[in-house]
Amino acid sequence: MEKMNQKTLHRPLWPTLILLSASFAMAQTQPYDLLLQGGHVIDAKNKIDAVRDVAIRDGKIAAVAQHIDPAQAFKVVNASGLYVTPGLIDIHVHVYAGTAEPRSYAGDNSLYPDGYTFRAGVTTVADAGCAGWRNFEDFKQRVIDRAKTRVLAFINIVGNGMRGAKYENDLADMEAKPTADMALRHKDTIIGVKTAHYAGPEWTPVEQAVEAGTIANIPVMVDFGANRKERPMSELVTKKLRPGDIYTHCYSGLRDELDASGHVNPTMFEARKRGVIFDVGHGGGSFAWRIAVPAIQQGFLPDSISTDLHTGSMNAGMKDMDNVMSKFLAMGVALKDVVADSTWNPAREIHREELGNLSPGAVADVTVLRLERGSFGYTDMYGARLKSDKKLTCELTLRDGKVVWDLNGMTRPDWTTLPRDYRQTGDRRWDSVTPAPVRNPDAKR
Amino acid sequence: MALLVLAGALHAQPPQYDLLLKGGHVIDPKNGIDRIMDVGISGGKIAKVAQSIDSRDAKQTISMSGLYVTPGLIDIHAHVYLWKEPGGEAAQADAHSFRSGVTTMVDAGSSGWRTFPDFRARIIDRSKTRILAFLNIVGAGMGTGKEDDPAEMDARAAAKTAGENPGVIVGFKSAHYAGPGWESVDGAVKAGELTGLPVMVDFGRVNAARNLNALLLDKLRPGDIYTHCFSGHREELLDSGRLNPAMEAGRKRGIIFDIGHGAGSFYWYVAVPAYAEHFYPDSISTDLHINSMNAGMKDMNNIMSKLLNLGSSLQDVIRMSTWNPAKEIKRPLLGNLDAGAEADIAVLRVDRGNFGFVDSAGARKSGNQSIVCEMTLRAGKVVWDLNGRASQDWKTFPYQKQSWKK
Repeated sequence: MEKMNQKTLHRPLWPTLILLSASFAMAQTQPYDLLLQGGHVIDAKNKIDAVRDVAIRDGKIAAVAQHIDPAQAFKVVNASGLYVTPGLIDIHVHVYAGTAEPRSYAGDNSLYPDGYTFRAGVTTVADAGCAGWRNFEDFKQRVIDRAKTRVLAFINIVGNGMRGAKYENDLADMEAKPTADMALRHKDTIIGVKTAHYAGPEWTPVEQAVEAGTIANIPVMVDFGANRKERPMSELVTKKLRPGDIYTHCYSGLRDELDASGHVNPTMFEARKRGVIFDVGHGGGSFAWRIAVPAIQQGFLPDSISTDLHTGSMNAGMKDMDNVMSKFLAMGVALKDVVADSTWNPAREIHREELGNLSPGAVADVTVLRLERGSFGYTDMYGARLKSDKKLTCELTLRDGKVVWDLNGMTRPDWTTLPRDYRQTGDRRWDSVTPAPVRNPDAKR
Repeated sequence: MALLVLAGALHAQPPQYDLLLKGGHVIDPKNGIDRIMDVGISGGKIAKVAQSIDSRDAKQTISMSGLYVTPGLIDIHAHVYLWKEPGGEAAQADAHSFRSGVTTMVDAGSSGWRTFPDFRARIIDRSKTRILAFLNIVGAGMGTGKEDDPAEMDARAAAKTAGENPGVIVGFKSAHYAGPGWESVDGAVKAGELTGLPVMVDFGRVNAARNLNALLLDKLRPGDIYTHCFSGHREELLDSGRLNPAMEAGRKRGIIFDIGHGAGSFYWYVAVPAYAEHFYPDSISTDLHINSMNAGMKDMNNIMSKLLNLGSSLQDVIRMSTWNPAKEIKRPLLGNLDAGAEADIAVLRVDRGNFGFVDSAGARKSGNQSIVCEMTLRAGKVVWDLNGRASQDWKTFPYQKQSWKK
């Protein structure tokens, strides 16, 4: 099938061959592997909100400028009319799949990450406490080390992790020391400590999580479980948590986030002044329009947008990161803020400031979004709908400078320009979706 | 919608339908329906499809205006057997099915007779998607390093497992066999003969004797399924640029041709000439796995859109994704909107615009139509609702004070 029969070509072949050989010959002279041309760049860290060219080399951002000479790039992609942002960071997901444990976030409630990340523009996720110190290393070898997505993790203060109420309410299995030890052993991966789903009246889970976070010098993320008078949310955010700790599910309304008169709990503003972080964590049961709309109107915006992805949220109101981001556009939050909430803000929250930005030298995790106009509806945890004329769709995702998602083939050649019996069209300088073609070894830089 | 619900409550009779899908363009190839119809659902079943059903007879009515209402899509080539041990290439069924309108997935040979009980207990019985299976003729199943071992190809053991799982195992799979002989195909066909079930073939490696002509004209039986039909890996397209005549000859014998797009089995340079010769697939399927999901394949709707842009009518694309695959796997109760059928329904939108569709080599073909799944019902329940069409506006929503529960 390798030979080409001139008689049967459906289209002229020579222009293609000339172009191909020209591109091989020029490979040595092109310093950039990939150039995204003419997209509207939103990069909160660098305060860019304008049309820019973005050049990538060796998996890193090489340059961001008003004009970059396309002749300097091996591959040029037109991004005009689209938004170019740092790869999205979703700091609340559940991806400890594969153990076959039913009704467990260290099992059947979790999803493998790669099916939900790149297609929504997400390049980094943080698992929110599926595993504790007893099972973290199983999680790591089972999922984290095999995923193409960058998977980081909050380690659960419960040694057994998020395996169900029996485990998650066991105070004896909440130990700061072994949790911190495991976090310090895997500093590259464990970026925080999680406490979640606790039903009892004690402060022990929060206190142990904060102690572990203090030893390991990482933040704590809290899902505050049952709403108990003995441990009110107001005391949690104003006293128990440290600056930099994260209160997730902030628009759930399940723990007095909004008072009976419809006002945001004033202690949340107070806590924000102290430096406590408020994260969305949408999930299957943690985002209600009747909470979020008044909160946004009263100026209580999120610090970070996250999905709380799991099997119970994926097909409900949550859907994916782009859908959750679109909800904030629908409530009137500016696109540049929505992008900051999904990139630079979460990067800072998890102390990974090398992520979530397009500074030269940064890892080239890049997302290209399209802002659609039309008639859309978004549903909350109760199934109530809010209509909007805006929707974000992910067109293209790069991880380490390589294409990992391309919705409409914007990086791909038209098939009629290719030789008959073409088998591969990508190049490992910019593509990881299709197998790399055999290249002339002399064409290496 | 709130007004309609209220009207229903004031109506004298208790509503006979749980849900009414009103004013959608129904495409139900089995029943020859291709026009605007109302669909009434009751007790998880299709109760009635008619030109007009009174909203007062329904507890809930959803407007389907401008949308297509079809039987739930059936994807007869997916890989969803996640092993308990790390590794493998399977994807999670529920993560990919409902969001593209798929209500039934057929696993294409990920498990064999030795591993099927584990697949059934851990995955099939726990999934919300209806999962059926072609049982691999290799006892250990796919990707286990045993696929070239004829000693693993035990037709009697495979047939016995199929007999123990009626209604779930719908056929046998021969796949990835490097040859040089026919042990894999022969074993699968023998299991098929013992049980009266079809065989699906991924033809692996071809050679002078083990070729497409022999497979399609001699080895397979009418009703057996040739998947990856536009891959070009096995001389489906000849060097002359013409389709291999064995394809049309096989079709005349009753062999079924299935897409099985996957990461390496759908190329424009095969599909376009095939369409030019009026050779269309019988069924559309994804070959979903972790290496196809983020590449050219993406999901069932993407492949359906590809065929739409190649020139198939929407009606034919729906037929290839519903009634045809239901017949191929001998499940005539699926893939149609008969009164009494389980109410698996896909609601689709056809967007117009500038789209690109990518094949397994990463080559793009432009198109101006894209199929999007708006809503999916499984057994009458909404399991996917892209734009909240089944919901009501939050400002009038009867929010109840809810406390945290775990």
